[in-house]
Amino acid sequence: MRHRPRAPLVDRRAFLKAAGSVFLAGLAPGAARAMLATDAVFATAYADRQGRYGIALLSETGRLLHALPLPDRGHDIAFDRTFGRSAAFARRPGTFALVFDHAGRGEPLAIAAAPGRHFFGHGVFSPDGRLLYATENDVDAAAGRIGVYDATDGFARIGEFPTHGMDPHELLLMSDGRTIAVANGGIETHPDYGRAKLNLATMKPSLAFLDRETGALVERHELSPDLHKLSIRHMDLDARGRVWFGCQYEGPALDRPPLVGTVRPGEAMALLDMPPDILSGLRNYIGSVAANPAAGTVAVSSPQGNRMAVIDATTGTVLAVRSLTEVCGLAADRDGFLATTGEGRIVPVSGGEATLPDHVWDNHILRIG
Amino acid sequence: MFLRRLLFVACLVPVSCASAMSAEPPGATAMVQGVIERYVAPAYGTFALTSRELGDAVDALCAEPSPQRLAGARAAFAETVDAWSRVELVRFGPVTDGNRLERVLYWPDRRSTGLKQVQSLLAEENAAALDVAALASKSVAVQGLGALEFALFGTGADDMTRLAGYRCAYAAAIAANVETIAEALETAWSAGEGAAGLWAAPGPDNPLYRDGGEALGELLDIMIHGLELVRDVRINGFLGAAASGDRPRQALLWRSGQTVATLRGNLASIEGLLEAADMEAHLPEDRRWVVRSALFELANAQRALAGIEVEPVEDLLADPESRATLEYVRLVTASLSDVIGRQLSGEFGLTAGFSSLDGD
Repeated sequence: MRHRPRAPLVDRRAFLKAAGSVFLAGLAPGAARAMLATDAVFATAYADRQGRYGIALLSETGRLLHALPLPDRGHDIAFDRTFGRSAAFARRPGTFALVFDHAGRGEPLAIAAAPGRHFFGHGVFSPDGRLLYATENDVDAAAGRIGVYDATDGFARIGEFPTHGMDPHELLLMSDGRTIAVANGGIETHPDYGRAKLNLATMKPSLAFLDRETGALVERHELSPDLHKLSIRHMDLDARGRVWFGCQYEGPALDRPPLVGTVRPGEAMALLDMPPDILSGLRNYIGSVAANPAAGTVAVSSPQGNRMAVIDATTGTVLAVRSLTEVCGLAADRDGFLATTGEGRIVPVSGGEATLPDHVWDNHILRIG
Repeated sequence: MFLRRLLFVACLVPVSCASAMSAEPPGATAMVQGVIERYVAPAYGTFALTSRELGDAVDALCAEPSPQRLAGARAAFAETVDAWSRVELVRFGPVTDGNRLERVLYWPDRRSTGLKQVQSLLAEENAAALDVAALASKSVAVQGLGALEFALFGTGADDMTRLAGYRCAYAAAIAANVETIAEALETAWSAGEGAAGLWAAPGPDNPLYRDGGEALGELLDIMIHGLELVRDVRINGFLGAAASGDRPRQALLWRSGQTVATLRGNLASIEGLLEAADMEAHLPEDRRWVVRSALFELANAQRALAGIEVEPVEDLLADPESRATLEYVRLVTASLSDVIGRQLSGEFGLTAGFSSLDGD
């Protein structure tokens, strides 16, 4: 749901052809049948009942097609549509990413974070699939970095460039294929202190546009000083190439700051003025943002408010609000959004819902085929 | 805030909680009200009282410096730190207004930026830092207990046995600032202002707590997040996995020898919250052992910490027995996270949320 593919998605038959017998051989017969019947494939990190972590491939109707174990908790997935593979990132402050081929060509490949760096849970491939970019922490300096990995050379780390802010979280590739947008959440953490937030009084989030080829800063946008506790964390691109971002507020719980905004290079940030009752239901916390360019909508989820809202990308009007306990994962599908929850529910666009009794879903879900 | 209705018990480290209960856990509101009346409001009251006494003691020192008065100010500082450590795990509500939490205690100061700011104020004898209102708008690192500790215990503090000077005036301004914040917190909780009042009155129109389950989730969250803070930040901040990884100068308030005292205060607050909520009374008789087991573990940790007499932390860590005690307490906090975050929360039909964790 992040780096929006510009060409049509790999169609089901191509995916299955690419997946080949190796991939299907790993599936239970029922799952293989479901895979053949499914129109779209989604990937999301999970935890299971035994406390094990992994990446699940799900059908559009919520059937589990495949499960790939991870050594620890995952977060988001980057999809390389050119070579038909994905990279799953450890949840911050994790130090691994796992690249897996959709066709099962070879074993999954683990990437270890560089010394003095950890991952923040998000990454993106270059359009040609040759490079992988990941948001990382320069731990000692508490400075955001984009780590660059050569996908043609065993994902060797070939460089890094600054994100011009602290705590970079999600990143996405703009429609020019060259500019990276990165949300600098602004919250200082250090592995020595777990996930504790060390700088709430002085945090300064930003959203930066970077040239992925030179590493240069193109533009850096900041919210007004009175909103310096509004951590910008998640994003997606609408049909017009505008970045929609979602925030998490670190100030007093009774404040009701705006939580959703838009920006693009050359344009100032704009914050969406939502109706107070809808805004209030989001509990100052957006867990994921997904655009459906075909439908002209953007969805945001709040696992803390147990709500998701669908917004008209043109007018900014909230079209629908849905109550769903601990909803977080969102992915565009058909004319709507597939949603997943921290309780294990999968809510497809087509109606109905599935719950896999052994799994709970992590914050993000991504269409990968 | 993020405990949720129990669907199944995933073996996740509980980090935060919320409720999506359609039915309220029995006695949820009574437990929260009990906690406010019998623990939180009185604890802020004690913090305000000790900070007033601290202000008086520092003023007395500045008026007439002497070894006795410096000792008196230091003792009053310890009392205030103790009172704060018994309520600092409450990290929501009035304490989140205007950075009060960080202004009372900015820590950890990992890159010593706060310390450098304090040292430069002292070196410059910056007059603007002596005005309480002006100080309140300066960096959070120069106006709270951490800065005051340096003023009273850091390099050069002993000069105040005979010469008050700028350093004492600065200490007095900090003490007055802490006193102002403490009194605002006491007032907010005793008058039920803002979140403090909303917590005790959940309901569909309540902007923070839609039902008793959410209110009770907040209470359990204080303990769950609190135990995580004690373990991940306070203990792991200076106690390495092995002795070679110890960092005594990263310990909270090591200059004044208050490190272990704050751990005791933090754990005492969890004990106090459990007792004030009278959780046992709201559980079926055959489930009350869960509360008792938490209290038992807390008592074990307190007993162990009471045996530590060596401070500063540097000496404590060099003493194998004391160091082992800290390791034991670290283990107990992990076990308590399970007892409170999973078992006790589960008894009330709540479980840790999986995807509602901060900042992901």
